[in-house]
Amino acid sequence: MNNKIHIISNAHLDPIWLWRWQEGCGEVLQTFRSAVERIKEYKGMIFTCSSASYYKWVEEIDPELFEEIRKLVKKGKWVPVNGWWVQPDCNMPSAESFARQALYSQLYYYEKFGEICKTGYNVDSFGHNAMLPQLLNNGGMRCYVMMRPGMNENSEIPENLFWWDSPDGSRVLTYRIPYSYGVNGKGDIDRELPLLKERVKNTGHGMMFFFGVGNHGGGPTKGDLDYILELKKDGYEELEYSSPDEYFSEMCADRLDLPTWSDEMQHHASGCYSATSMVKQLNRKAEYWLANAEKWNTVSAKISDLPKATEEFGKAWQEVCFNQFHDILCGCSIMEAYEDVRDSMGYAMKIAANEENKAMLKIAQQVDTWLDGVTDAQSSIARHHCRNLKFPRPVIVFNPNSFEVEAPVRTYHPSRKVEDSEGNEVLFQNVRSSRSNDSHLDTVFNAKVPALGYATYWLWHEDSEFTERSTLDGGISAEGLTVENKHIKVEFDGETGGIKSLVSKADGTEFVGGEFCVPTVVDNSQPDTWAHNIFKFDKTIGKMSLKSVELVECGALRAVMRVKHTYGGSYLTQDFILGADSKNIRVKCRVLWQEPLTILKMPVTVEGENPVSTYEIPAGFIKRPCNGEEEPALTWGDITAGGENRKGVAIISDAKYSYDCPGNTLRLTMLRNSIFADHYSDRPDADFSYCDEGIHRFEYAVYPHVGEAEDSGIQRIAAAFNSKLVAVPVSYHKGTMPLKKSFISINKPNIRLEAFKFCEDGSGDVVMRLCETDGKPVKAAIVCDVAEAGFYADFRKLEVKTFRINSEGYVTETNYLEGIVEE
Amino acid sequence: MIKPYKLKSHVCRFCTFFQAGDEKIPEALLKTENQKPDLEGFAYPLPSKKSDYTCYAKTGEIEWYGASNGLTRYDANAEREEDIVMYFSAPRDLLDNNVKAIMPDGENVWVLTDTGAAYIEMRLVDAEEKADILLEETLKYVDRRGMVSQKRLFEGRNLESIKPYGHSDNDGTFTGNFAFGEMFRYATFKREKGEEHPDTVKARAVATRAVEACLLLLHIHSRGDGFAARTYLCADEPVPDDGLFLRITDGKATCLKTTDSEKRGVTGTVIDASAPVPERLAKLYTEKGYTINDIIYKADTSSDEITHHFINLLTAHEILGDDSELDEIIVSSTKKLMMHIIDHGYELHDFTGKPTTWAKWSTSYFNTEFGWVDGTLNSAQLLMYLLVTMKVTGEEGIWREHYDRLINELGYADRAEKHFDRLYQASLSMGFDYFEDIMYGDHMLATLAYYGICTLEKDEKLLAKYRKGYKAWRTSIEREHNPGYDLLYAVACPDEEVDLDRHAEWFYRTNASRLAAGVSLVGRHDVPVKKLRAGAEEISTLLPPDERFISKYDRNPYDLKNEDSGGIMCVESCYVYTLAYWFGRYHGFFE
Repeated sequence: MNNKIHIISNAHLDPIWLWRWQEGCGEVLQTFRSAVERIKEYKGMIFTCSSASYYKWVEEIDPELFEEIRKLVKKGKWVPVNGWWVQPDCNMPSAESFARQALYSQLYYYEKFGEICKTGYNVDSFGHNAMLPQLLNNGGMRCYVMMRPGMNENSEIPENLFWWDSPDGSRVLTYRIPYSYGVNGKGDIDRELPLLKERVKNTGHGMMFFFGVGNHGGGPTKGDLDYILELKKDGYEELEYSSPDEYFSEMCADRLDLPTWSDEMQHHASGCYSATSMVKQLNRKAEYWLANAEKWNTVSAKISDLPKATEEFGKAWQEVCFNQFHDILCGCSIMEAYEDVRDSMGYAMKIAANEENKAMLKIAQQVDTWLDGVTDAQSSIARHHCRNLKFPRPVIVFNPNSFEVEAPVRTYHPSRKVEDSEGNEVLFQNVRSSRSNDSHLDTVFNAKVPALGYATYWLWHEDSEFTERSTLDGGISAEGLTVENKHIKVEFDGETGGIKSLVSKADGTEFVGGEFCVPTVVDNSQPDTWAHNIFKFDKTIGKMSLKSVELVECGALRAVMRVKHTYGGSYLTQDFILGADSKNIRVKCRVLWQEPLTILKMPVTVEGENPVSTYEIPAGFIKRPCNGEEEPALTWGDITAGGENRKGVAIISDAKYSYDCPGNTLRLTMLRNSIFADHYSDRPDADFSYCDEGIHRFEYAVYPHVGEAEDSGIQRIAAAFNSKLVAVPVSYHKGTMPLKKSFISINKPNIRLEAFKFCEDGSGDVVMRLCETDGKPVKAAIVCDVAEAGFYADFRKLEVKTFRINSEGYVTETNYLEGIVEE
Repeated sequence: MIKPYKLKSHVCRFCTFFQAGDEKIPEALLKTENQKPDLEGFAYPLPSKKSDYTCYAKTGEIEWYGASNGLTRYDANAEREEDIVMYFSAPRDLLDNNVKAIMPDGENVWVLTDTGAAYIEMRLVDAEEKADILLEETLKYVDRRGMVSQKRLFEGRNLESIKPYGHSDNDGTFTGNFAFGEMFRYATFKREKGEEHPDTVKARAVATRAVEACLLLLHIHSRGDGFAARTYLCADEPVPDDGLFLRITDGKATCLKTTDSEKRGVTGTVIDASAPVPERLAKLYTEKGYTINDIIYKADTSSDEITHHFINLLTAHEILGDDSELDEIIVSSTKKLMMHIIDHGYELHDFTGKPTTWAKWSTSYFNTEFGWVDGTLNSAQLLMYLLVTMKVTGEEGIWREHYDRLINELGYADRAEKHFDRLYQASLSMGFDYFEDIMYGDHMLATLAYYGICTLEKDEKLLAKYRKGYKAWRTSIEREHNPGYDLLYAVACPDEEVDLDRHAEWFYRTNASRLAAGVSLVGRHDVPVKKLRAGAEEISTLLPPDERFISKYDRNPYDLKNEDSGGIMCVESCYVYTLAYWFGRYHGFFE
């Protein structure tokens, strides 16, 4: 029996929490210096430390110290772990974010230390999504260390050492820290070592002892190190300085039969998925924008002289990755820190905006939008591009998704008629603009754009007399509080402002089975910002009062029912938008929230037996019991119920991450107004600031469907909801490219393009990341002419695959590390 | 309730080859000047880089593109996705890959390459017809006194130049698979056509002969102690320097000199070989004019052979058991083999008095470095052997005692669940991806062992455990979409789904010959390559059988560079197809 207790000297470093990042940076420098000194002083000591961003700080600010660390790494005295930029929250980042966490970090570690991290290590992160084994494996890590939830929070997850499997078939050998990631002081050591010794005896395998002052850095103190030496001489000879890498290596060699866990690992801080909405919204927006902008940069650089922006995207993603640190993205840091986060995310998104704009205009320049006669002499007004009355103006609509999308897009002028690239009229509507200038009208038109492609539309100005006015009718109608299109009929409740009936016109299915879109206020006075030890937000304190419900638009393309609610000094305005061809209802929300210690939830209810809630998680989806516990999710959550003829309703959001599902009701947590960094609700009398007070603008959608969520196409609808079509007004010019074009073809709907980028090694090779979304193994054919590639690939259910394509179009399957580094 | 999948007639490639200078190559082909195809915007992945295609021809609605690395067939109207674009490459479909010209000939094409020409016919063949063609080829060219593994050729691609001899290390295993399929062929015909139908009679004869060939290996050594030989040779066959061979002479068997025998120091060992071989089995060699004194048998038998023997003993007892003479041999052979294993502490003991290298099912073996991983499969095997023995003999007694002891005292049923965990841990500790650490021959062994325990065990708790163990193997088996594995799994675990449509592809796209000519995989433009952790290279997609290397049920079909068993100089047995087809047909998966 291996009875060794591996001493893992470490210092938990929160770069932001109860301090701003500048202080966190200083804390890293001091801790690293201290660790180097302790290694020199104590023979055999090994220091373990995660987070590439910390090393980068040290490299930039104290190169001499960094050099010392490099030498220690080579000697095995200093062990970098967790090939990620920080220890992120492990529920809210997207699959692509986890890819970038690994990509930039492991390449950094490889460049600086000559090796990548073997062990994933998120000792403080508050929960761990079910796909993490795959996300770790793809980043070159086969072993994992975690701690939360603790046994008191979830005793079903195995203790100590176990195999953790994700649904795609990946697995990591996982160590669950039993007590603390930072034992320090004689008292704690005396309490914990005997317990660990007992575990060694009971399990028959070695354990790790995480040792060192943490949170604000620190590491092992001299006093504690001396005490450990004493203990080693006095009854604890099994204590040995070690690292997680060494520990896992020994455990593998020991040929153990270990338990297996095949689920997510939740819950510790259930409030963290809704606290501080601002950081969540920024994260979602930045993730999608950067991924999409990089796709366009790649396409554009392949077909034009646009430079590759790989380095710029790297800088932007590193900001996003940093802000995914668990205490940042989870919304539980101090208020001042979020000002820094806003700046940092702004920097990232400015890069996305710049690169996307350049790429799209470069592509647009090559599209043949020329109209004969367009340069003939005209009045200055007519020559004004936006008000050319004699000719329609070209608008190129870009679709970043890897599947065709048909959706409304907006341009900022009114129109008389809109035509597609083949000259067919398309549905449009002149709608209220956000400005008070001129006509106050924008055009919203229905665009149908091929996969990762563009389509050109021609918009005749509202004032033009050179064309007939459009008479197309999209089949939208409204009567009283009811609106309908060819797919669904929606009736609003004049008493509550909620939806009273939502019926499928194809088969008459009624989806409303109870409370539906009635904004509900829930008590949040007990939970701290994290909601420590509280797993359900179920104390309803009221419903928002309906102020008005009115039909504000009903035209060829869409109908809009505006519903206004109030509560205390707060209001919520919702525009329920039903598009002509839409199977879901899009809801634009504006909230002014001023209620301390409250939660605002938006419910949908489906009637029927055996309700099951399903949620998107990174690289997949998960089904959870409808027990009312607050749950993290990415872009959608769903409640489905019924016997043989099951039906469901999904809520899609562009900014939110938290739901609960008591019984047959799924509730989107729209905001959660806690005190900033309110730890265990220890609240002195003060005029606190609240993390969700103020104005919020975001969107959600309600999507009814029959059958199970994963078979309903929700994955693509939610992706398109977050990756919207982009309309780019362009000029008239000759070009070599057609008016409509797709840059990728994927023959299976459940295979989605997550990333299309240039390889980080500067070779000019292209990297394509694809994932299976529906939980169904498939063989897919992918054709991408701009990369001169066409290939087949098999996908396991929910598998993420990364391909590297060379200049000749030959394809290698790699992982997140792009074939630059091998395990 | 299984809903049968209707297998239709499907195009199958038949290629005839002509060396450069052969007068049969049409003059017109030599003069053909094809246009370069316009592949701009082509909607499907292509096996060659677009710019590498140099020639183009059309037969009806089908288009053919030639490139420097093979030939591509494009059928825009193909019913099945995988048939839209097909790839033809050397040496299986072409003499070499540099296609210089394509000339249509009705629906067929002549293809000119550097070293000659190929005439490619795309004939419609139905699934049963293909099984018949393959069986005929095996019986005519591969059969060796009832054993069917593979045979070498004197002249490449020329089946008529077959070598009359040539054993396989795993004759028992491969013949066992063949026999298994043929028994289900007979059972299908019996049900569908009646016992007296000439097809049924013929099928029974083929199945019986294969079963007898397997049974003979349990007796050919004349040890009389339940041992099983790997294979045997007759006096006029060369003895390869590959393992341990014993020549029988006048009631004694002597170990011949080989590298292996020298290494083990057992050359010249003499043991008793006086036990008689049942006459019914002996006729397999006596009818060829040999006697027991002409026999050289191969020892050091593996668990592979034993596992196949037990499944065949069970199947033969159930399907051919009305042949009382044969059944008597089956029952007595089963008892002897099982008793040998029990008497030797759950091991198969060789003439040396020691266990053979791989036939070990004891806990002492499981506690070794190697045995720790092997133990999961071998536990299931031993449990299967005992269940089969109880079923075949109709007795429990000692068999039940040992079965219960293995489960209750020695943890065999628990261990049989742990395959994936142990495989994964071992591969992790060695720095492998677990796909690199798999013995692919184990997939069939696991399939048979778990199929056996899952279909024979009636206790719900144990059955659940066995099914869990079976599922643990699916992590690596499932991706092969091999009906030979999947259909047995579906019978053993009826709640699990298998993809019959993927299996249809497998039946449709298996060649109608087992000539082991290879294909060109390296350099395919439409197939990504993945380097695994320890350096093995896999392709990212499972190709149809006619576009990947020929193998038995013992290789990784995703391997980029797996070698064919003998290339154009070798023909394999048909069991890879016939086992899957007839088992599936019998159980109602296909019609």
